[in-house]
Amino acid sequence: MIPHVNVVELPWLYTGLAAYALAMLISLKVVIGARGGAAGAAAVKHGHEPLVLGLIFAGVMLLAMALAERWLRIGHGPFVSLFELLISQLFSLGLVLSVAYWRLPVIRPASVVILPVIGLLGAWVLFLDPTATPFPPTYSNKWLWAHVGFGKFFLAFSLMGCGLAGVILMRRVPRLAQWFRQMPPDSVLDHLAWRFMLVALLFDSLMLIAGAVWAQDAWGRFWAWDALETSAFLNWLLLGGAIHARLTYRIPIRLGAIAILVIFVFAFLTYFGAPFYSEAAHKGVI
Amino acid sequence: MSVWLRRLASPRLTLPGMGLLGVGAALSYDNPVSTPVWVLVVPLALLAVNLLAAILTNARINRRGGLLVFHLALLSIVILVAIGRLTHMDAHLEMVAGNGFSADDLIEVNRGLLHHGSLDQVFFIQGPYTVDYAPGMMRGPTRSQVMVPDGSGGWEQRVIGDDKPLVLHGYRFYTTFNKGFAPVLTWMPDGGPAVTGTVHMPPYPLYDFRQANRWTPPGGKEIKFWLQLETGLSPEHAWTLDVRKARATLVLKTGGQRIELQPGQTARLPGGRLRYERLSSWMGYKLFYYPTLHWLFICAIIGVLGLAAHFWMKFATHPWPGSQTVKRGMQDNRAVRELL
Repeated sequence: MIPHVNVVELPWLYTGLAAYALAMLISLKVVIGARGGAAGAAAVKHGHEPLVLGLIFAGVMLLAMALAERWLRIGHGPFVSLFELLISQLFSLGLVLSVAYWRLPVIRPASVVILPVIGLLGAWVLFLDPTATPFPPTYSNKWLWAHVGFGKFFLAFSLMGCGLAGVILMRRVPRLAQWFRQMPPDSVLDHLAWRFMLVALLFDSLMLIAGAVWAQDAWGRFWAWDALETSAFLNWLLLGGAIHARLTYRIPIRLGAIAILVIFVFAFLTYFGAPFYSEAAHKGVI
Repeated sequence: MSVWLRRLASPRLTLPGMGLLGVGAALSYDNPVSTPVWVLVVPLALLAVNLLAAILTNARINRRGGLLVFHLALLSIVILVAIGRLTHMDAHLEMVAGNGFSADDLIEVNRGLLHHGSLDQVFFIQGPYTVDYAPGMMRGPTRSQVMVPDGSGGWEQRVIGDDKPLVLHGYRFYTTFNKGFAPVLTWMPDGGPAVTGTVHMPPYPLYDFRQANRWTPPGGKEIKFWLQLETGLSPEHAWTLDVRKARATLVLKTGGQRIELQPGQTARLPGGRLRYERLSSWMGYKLFYYPTLHWLFICAIIGVLGLAAHFWMKFATHPWPGSQTVKRGMQDNRAVRELL
């Protein structure tokens, strides 16, 4: 962890991450601690769920405060450094998870798959430098907001689908299957997971459109096959292709779950991997 | 005919088409010169034919309003991209303050086979510019002043920048990081008429340390120029490059002579006299022309709206399994299973 003074957003960040971590630990303890067998499934208690929901929501609020404090400190939104991008991603993932957790009780046990992924990002942000980075002139554009916002919803809905796909695959392991006995059968989870992916496709499409408009304003071209554009387009194609294949062929549920995981991993690498294999993620970013 | 149409409409054709498009996209990464355009054209053409046939024959598409709109929009986008690529144009140019636009000055021109825009009607005059820099020489907003004919015999002043292009007859001019200074010189040969022109110095402040160039006047010897600039450049602090406030001494080197000139001064050189009139500036622009740009945006938005409407109706008819709404009246998960 990098020690820093006068980085006012850090206390909010740490407490927000602690809330997420606590929610994850409680979910894991309850799900893993559930006894096997029909009696065990019936005996699963749901008393922890309001607490988990409250912790996730508290984490979202605390991360919102971290973002606001940072914005006031450095004078621009969370669009440039990986540190601030990850905080805003943690915020949006938590926000969508909290709403899904609240409105769709059947998916709640899937939080033992979803929260560790969020936790991975949370652990990563702790090792990043919170120093402010200059705000490129091409970032003062309203379409950047739309582009980034749609992208965050795309990733969040993909993560929801990924969580359910993870449950479907983990159920193949007898020992792990006991954790999710109280959840609906795979056919229901598969249906739900693909619904999340359909919504993700909408936001992915909007992200590409808004990004193209921003790129036209910012760099005088709407598409240039740079690292992020190529990766994002391939991701859209992969998602669209998977949905098309599911409608065309009778894809086994397990294969569908693997496809969702691949799409999510591709999206994750597009977001967080591009900076590692491209000097400037978007051409002309400076 | 209808048999062929149905074969072309097969959804089993779509996936190979999407796979080929993915390969084409991966090969197009970073726009390598060695990648032919066919890697994208072939799969897009295949998908367009497949899509058109599916729209005409597939009831799952053409009887569902939202889905039909989405697929029509996809087809329109492919067609508009094709038209756009055939008629597009992009180029670069450097414009000296006080000079007017001329298509002859364009460099690195790249145009589609069917490009026939009205570039000959485009005209504007370059003015001065300012560029903000944050500490550490991080470039901020550029404000470039240009004068544009107002259509009634007068001129209208506009301020453009990196993300605020000048749009004339569909041609979009964007400022770039590429800009610098250009001393205005008059060469008065011993036996002939005087000529006035500019010598473009390398981009500033990128090459602050190398503001030099060379030129051989007609009938004279090669002259090496070096510009000693005073712009207030301060790498450690916030700073604004304002070309109107810049001052410069022009240093000439020719035939063993070294001469320093201030604006308005003249030097006697082999073959004639050279007057340093004043310090001017140049701005590098990127030109972009893509006539289907707005239609592409409109079709893309309509397509997403169509898809959203389709999902909305689908989700309204079949609520999310296990949602709070569905759970009312449901006793256990068996009920949820029955719902599906």
